[in-house]
Amino acid sequence: MTLHATPVADTAVHGPVPTIETVGLTKVYGQNAALDHVSLRFLPGEVHVLFGENGAGKSTLISMISGANTPTSGQILLKGQPVRFESVRMARANGVRAVFQEFSLVPDLTVAQNITLGEEPALGPRAFGLANVLAKSAARSEARRLIDELGFDLNPDAKVNTLTRGKQQMVEICKAMRVRPDLLILDEPTASLSEHDSQALFALIRRLTAAGTAIIYVTHRMHEIPLIGHRLSVLRDGQFVATVAADTPEDRLIELMTGRNMAKIYPQPRADLGEVKLRLDKVTLTPRQGVEPVRDVSLTVRAGEIVGIAGLVGCGKGNLAQACFGLHRVAEGTIEIAGRAIQPRHPSEAIKAGLWYSPADRKNDGLALDQSAHKNMILSGLSFGPSRGEFLRPRRDARRLADLVRMVEFDADRMAEPVSRFSGGNQQKILLAKALVQDVEVYVFDEPTVGVDIGACLSIYRCLATLSARGAAILLVSSNLPELMGLTHRMLVMSQGSLVAEFDRADYDEHKILEQFF
Amino acid sequence: MSGDVSLSTRPAQAKPSLWARIVDNRDLLALPAMFIIALLIFSLASDKFLTTGNLTNVARQSVYLLIVALGQLVVMIGGGLDLSVGSNVSLTSVASSMVMAAIFAANPNDPWFALWSGLAAGMAVGLAVGLVNGLGVTLLGINPFMMTLGMSSVVFGITLYIAGGVPIYGAPPLHGEIFGFGKIAGFPIPSLVALALVALAWFTLEWTRFGRHLYAAGGNGRAAELSGVRTVPVRIMAYMICGLMASLAGLLLTARLGSGEANVGASLPLESIAACVISGVSLAGGRGRALAVVMGTLLILLVQNGLNLMQVGAYAQSIATGGILIFAMAIVRR
Repeated sequence: MTLHATPVADTAVHGPVPTIETVGLTKVYGQNAALDHVSLRFLPGEVHVLFGENGAGKSTLISMISGANTPTSGQILLKGQPVRFESVRMARANGVRAVFQEFSLVPDLTVAQNITLGEEPALGPRAFGLANVLAKSAARSEARRLIDELGFDLNPDAKVNTLTRGKQQMVEICKAMRVRPDLLILDEPTASLSEHDSQALFALIRRLTAAGTAIIYVTHRMHEIPLIGHRLSVLRDGQFVATVAADTPEDRLIELMTGRNMAKIYPQPRADLGEVKLRLDKVTLTPRQGVEPVRDVSLTVRAGEIVGIAGLVGCGKGNLAQACFGLHRVAEGTIEIAGRAIQPRHPSEAIKAGLWYSPADRKNDGLALDQSAHKNMILSGLSFGPSRGEFLRPRRDARRLADLVRMVEFDADRMAEPVSRFSGGNQQKILLAKALVQDVEVYVFDEPTVGVDIGACLSIYRCLATLSARGAAILLVSSNLPELMGLTHRMLVMSQGSLVAEFDRADYDEHKILEQFF
Repeated sequence: MSGDVSLSTRPAQAKPSLWARIVDNRDLLALPAMFIIALLIFSLASDKFLTTGNLTNVARQSVYLLIVALGQLVVMIGGGLDLSVGSNVSLTSVASSMVMAAIFAANPNDPWFALWSGLAAGMAVGLAVGLVNGLGVTLLGINPFMMTLGMSSVVFGITLYIAGGVPIYGAPPLHGEIFGFGKIAGFPIPSLVALALVALAWFTLEWTRFGRHLYAAGGNGRAAELSGVRTVPVRIMAYMICGLMASLAGLLLTARLGSGEANVGASLPLESIAACVISGVSLAGGRGRALAVVMGTLLILLVQNGLNLMQVGAYAQSIATGGILIFAMAIVRR
């Protein structure tokens, strides 16, 4: 490994001098190295994909490059010169910008105000500082110009809290692009973007790289990698595994990432099915604000069966799933759980009837982040299932949980740690364990693998298969079509609040299914 | 890429420095640290401070705040706040005294009946105030801060109205003899009551389903609902427990003072919340432990007692107490 000590004047050229280079970068938290001597080179004009399971060290790496975190040891070289970013501000001043998954937007301000936040155009001289008068129209026109330049579909006067997550993501990218950075870090930028906006983002990335910007691109979406990436580096358990070309085949990437040979991603669904456990008959939801309309939906799920619901974001599939759990009122039609008609008005009624719903948004709807994994997992079990009782018996419950923890492949030694310390994949496993503590026969999973690395995905798939093998009826709502095709017996497609198509496993065809989405 | 590139700077999987661990755990360490600092300063400033007599005194004085703070703890764990505890104590004091005085005057031969009626009336008042708070916060969806602040004004108004601005005398002497100055095996009864309540609060919070539901409702109410926990009754119950605790403190205070007083509780909202926050209770809910709150309460009383011994005047004391509380919260904030 050679250290480039000579400064280089012209960085726009695709020269060999990396925009950013890390040398033996290490970050130690307590006893654990979150990042262990990682040396990587990010070249100008290159989209460098970082790939790895949650907790592999990607976030730690980019947080240190972007100045949000300081390394325990090792060095960061900026165009060959050692630098030490003490703050995000300092990294920005040196041309390094990051767009994280957690947004840094003020919800009550408009798009334009957010984009110009911190460096607002002012009427008076700079020296006036905070006492200066804002040049509001200048801020607007600057934002407008930026949005048009980036090719996004955004209204600069819209308040950020009225925007979808995808749009907010665009605002965040606009913010980062206001000063042209030399290195742009994108942390799962397409996780909440629609297809159209993703394409706009890719076009932008291509323009940036053509102009010599270096890009670090973190993603779990494997199909994006050959589209947008040049090289790809794999991290595992905080250590560097390999740097390969971005068009490396997917199964090879999974192998590198997990360290396991992936003969098969999806377990085979079981063949024999039992009686009907969940039946919806012509269910129409009461219209309410924030609830996508759902009309006249009929479906059945049998014991041991996994039925998928596919559809675009906003087609109502999530609301339908929540309605089974008593979170939305049913205006017409009936829901039958385990042979009994029920109109749940509260989740506790649905659980008692034998149905569990696992929410899509684990941070807001699923877990108490400050509390331990154990407490989160056992919570509903205290009222429903074998652990019920007015008084707690933590030791007995710990024995019970031990089985579940094995089933979801969670680290049993970390049960006492607060949920906020875990990676997304582990949090999702905690959420999954929560589903298993009570006696129910019907499970509704809403996006069980959203924002989760492949390793955790595989654990979750195996767990769903085990549940199905034990005779549970599973309704699986997902935006991930390959996942649905791999796991389910049947798939229903929802579009604008109604079921428009049904496919049997034998007839699965990605294009035919996708056609039904619109 | 070998490990010997920069051996000198490698922290060899080492433990983080002592200072880093102190900073990491400052919310746990702050309370004992402040305790020791307070003990040091006051024992240097006054040779009367570290005497058995004085410390016993502090322990006895802390009973009332401790009981109120335990109630506050329950509400705060559930993600709420109760600013009406002070008015609640006042109303309990006045109402129970009036009931006792009236019944005792009508039937002087049966002081026990008057006593029990007064106690029951006081507790009913506390529960009722808590119930209204709880209903307002949950069913009407009013922010706990505004709901209980408003209730505080309402309840204090009622107190002044029924008391007419004067202390209420005439309760049976039994009240003071037992709950004010009584002793069992040498231990003052108020302290025993407080200890029993600490044990009860600890048990309820750590070992019952209700306690766990309360932590869940405060930690993430939405997630608790989606786990089948009915958070509305849980939170109403929390306010009622807080109201009941406030009324118990009010009854004990009344017994000690010998009269029903409208102005006994004014400092309690601030002090009870402070006792909780410096013991690591989160203002956002979901965190807090009963035993830590005992420590937090004692710290506040120690500071007040120490300032007394240093002969700091009442006005300056108020400034000092408030300042110390703010400083303490700055250290333990998360």
